[in-house]
Amino acid sequence: MKKIAMVFVLSLYATSALAKVNVVATLPFIGSLAKEIGGDRIDITVLIKSNQDPHFVEAKPSMILAVRKADILIYNGLDLEIGYLPVLIESSKNPAIQPGKAGNLDCSRYVAPIERLPSADRSMGDVHPLGNPHYIYSPKNIFRVAEGITEVLSAVDSVNAVFYMESFAAFKERFNKKQAEWGKGQLKEKKFIAYHNMFSYLSSEFGFQIKGYIEAKPGIPPSAGHIEGLIEAMKRERPDAIIITPDAGRKETEFLTQKTGVKTIILPRDVGSTPAAKDWFSLMDEILSLLQ
Amino acid sequence: MRITALLCLLFLLIPFSKSWGDDMEQRIQALENASNIQTETIEEQQKAIEELKKGSDTEKQKSAGVTGLFGSASLANPNISLIVDTFFYSSNHNDGELEARSIPGFTNAGIEKRNGFNLESAELFIYAPVDPYFNLYATIPVTEDGAEVEEAYFITTALPKGAQVKGGKFKSGFGRINSQHPHAWDFADAPLAYRGFTGEEGIIEKGVQLTYLPELPFYTQLGAEALQGDNNLLFGQDAKSGAHTFSAFAKASFDMGDYSTILFGPSVVVGKARNSSIADDREFAGDTTLYDLEFTYKWKPSKARSFTLQSEYLLRSQDGNLTDTVSSTADTLKRTQDGVYLQGIYQIGRCRVGARFDRMEVFRDDYRLSGADQDFGERPWRATGSVEYNLSEFSRIRVQYNHDRSGRDGVTNNEVLVQLIFGIGAHSAHPF
Repeated sequence: MKKIAMVFVLSLYATSALAKVNVVATLPFIGSLAKEIGGDRIDITVLIKSNQDPHFVEAKPSMILAVRKADILIYNGLDLEIGYLPVLIESSKNPAIQPGKAGNLDCSRYVAPIERLPSADRSMGDVHPLGNPHYIYSPKNIFRVAEGITEVLSAVDSVNAVFYMESFAAFKERFNKKQAEWGKGQLKEKKFIAYHNMFSYLSSEFGFQIKGYIEAKPGIPPSAGHIEGLIEAMKRERPDAIIITPDAGRKETEFLTQKTGVKTIILPRDVGSTPAAKDWFSLMDEILSLLQ
Repeated sequence: MRITALLCLLFLLIPFSKSWGDDMEQRIQALENASNIQTETIEEQQKAIEELKKGSDTEKQKSAGVTGLFGSASLANPNISLIVDTFFYSSNHNDGELEARSIPGFTNAGIEKRNGFNLESAELFIYAPVDPYFNLYATIPVTEDGAEVEEAYFITTALPKGAQVKGGKFKSGFGRINSQHPHAWDFADAPLAYRGFTGEEGIIEKGVQLTYLPELPFYTQLGAEALQGDNNLLFGQDAKSGAHTFSAFAKASFDMGDYSTILFGPSVVVGKARNSSIADDREFAGDTTLYDLEFTYKWKPSKARSFTLQSEYLLRSQDGNLTDTVSSTADTLKRTQDGVYLQGIYQIGRCRVGARFDRMEVFRDDYRLSGADQDFGERPWRATGSVEYNLSEFSRIRVQYNHDRSGRDGVTNNEVLVQLIFGIGAHSAHPF
């Protein structure tokens, strides 16, 4: 009897050791970072498609189910997912990923946000008082996020902690190599016009300038008057290009290109937006080479 | 009076009391002293401010880790939003006719809208986590008649995986539209079936709800509720002492590809009834059962384009006595009636176009008073068209037209609504 019990307990232990950690990530780049660290020890579900605007996502029942099954929920934070994530977390009925629990990983905890607007109101458009949430394009911050993911994975799945640490060491090596490579790019003199205010981290880290936005205010589509003013400004400033992501601003940029002769660069929004952007590193590779 | 006179006298005497030169010198001296003290205080204050600034900078660095999930810190204040729902209404009926326009055989409640400008409500929505175990919500619509606690409930967050309890006063999980807030509806008014079976507001009850989300390959939610049974069309406050209503519902959902989702499921609510909402001067006492089948299909290939097709079929059956409150004579009443709505919404950019069709007594129209079948005239129906423009996530303008034949008298109520909905405060969610 005792033996059977022992075997039973051991087999339970074995299955728990073998069971993969179920990770749910809101955005593709977060899933990609978790994959870098978690490798084959984790199962990843990414909720949002790479061509979706994370501001305008609805809490689909399938997402609720995915969060229900999660051991760890990893998200961008800084209000980017405010429209649907609170609903997902509550409706999931999953105590492990509630705010304050180890399984709730807000990546912005590891980020130094820029453009904080403590006294913002909505007449300013879709602003984010806690800071610009688009740190996806910020190597400095992404490095810290990867470190944070390593910490949380190691804490939740301590059996594989060593594996996660080793993955992070490999990530660090690759990161340093890439940073050196990216630093050689010649972006310092460049000036761009962007559709939405999502490249501030990129411009501050790589030294280029964003001279204006096509959106009148964040999240508010431009009026004819705003576009006209922008055309004047572009004629004056002669920016190198207009930068947009595939999901917004195509029509407006076509018109602006026609009027001013300034070319448009379509940057991949997230991992998986283009075939080349397979993970976060190749996403950055592609963005930086397109901006050259 | 005497004191005032004395004071006046004193003031008049002051200039003569001292020699002017002495006075001036003394005064200048005093002013200098005062200004010296002031500069010192200012310097001290500046120092203090700088120290505070230093402190707040380090504070800032620390608080960079604040979660953005529920907006900014909600410790000191819960998340609060205010939604103002106001509309202009025009009908070919005057206000008196509207008030009398019930749905015979279903409800004696007329139309509460008035020709001209209307204020639906200014609705306060308050929520925040209580502690690591509960979230708390309250919906307080303030109308011209006063404030009302429409909802006030907790939701558990720490029960074992998949289980959740909701308690307090809340919108029942029965059906699809029932649990949605009116300002989130795709049209300015509730479907006819809801008006006829539950009342425009739906089933909002005090009680407790248990839901379970099993770990299956597809989304399935199971729920059961024990409710007080205050709904004045289905049940009634005085039907029985104690809670006298129970509901159960199931919802399942699949994704079909990346962009399409379907959601469907049955619901039922049963309870004891005693109310005067069937017809004027009649009180009904007996048992009520209401069934619901819901179906929603949503296609959303991008943020700028979507299509939603939604339908609910409701079947209500009641068995009991209908008493004439004037003559005190009673009849047995057995009625089983149904209703359905089908609506579609097409969104392109910031614009949404909608169409809806309502029909009552689709398959069942039994209404037997002491065994004799009653005929109330043509089957109620209504056709609706709407155009919506959303300037942002927080402001909505809607124009809606109803061709309403629910009066059963062959007379059409042509209604036009121009509705404005604004929301300020905490960011509202985008539920499916």
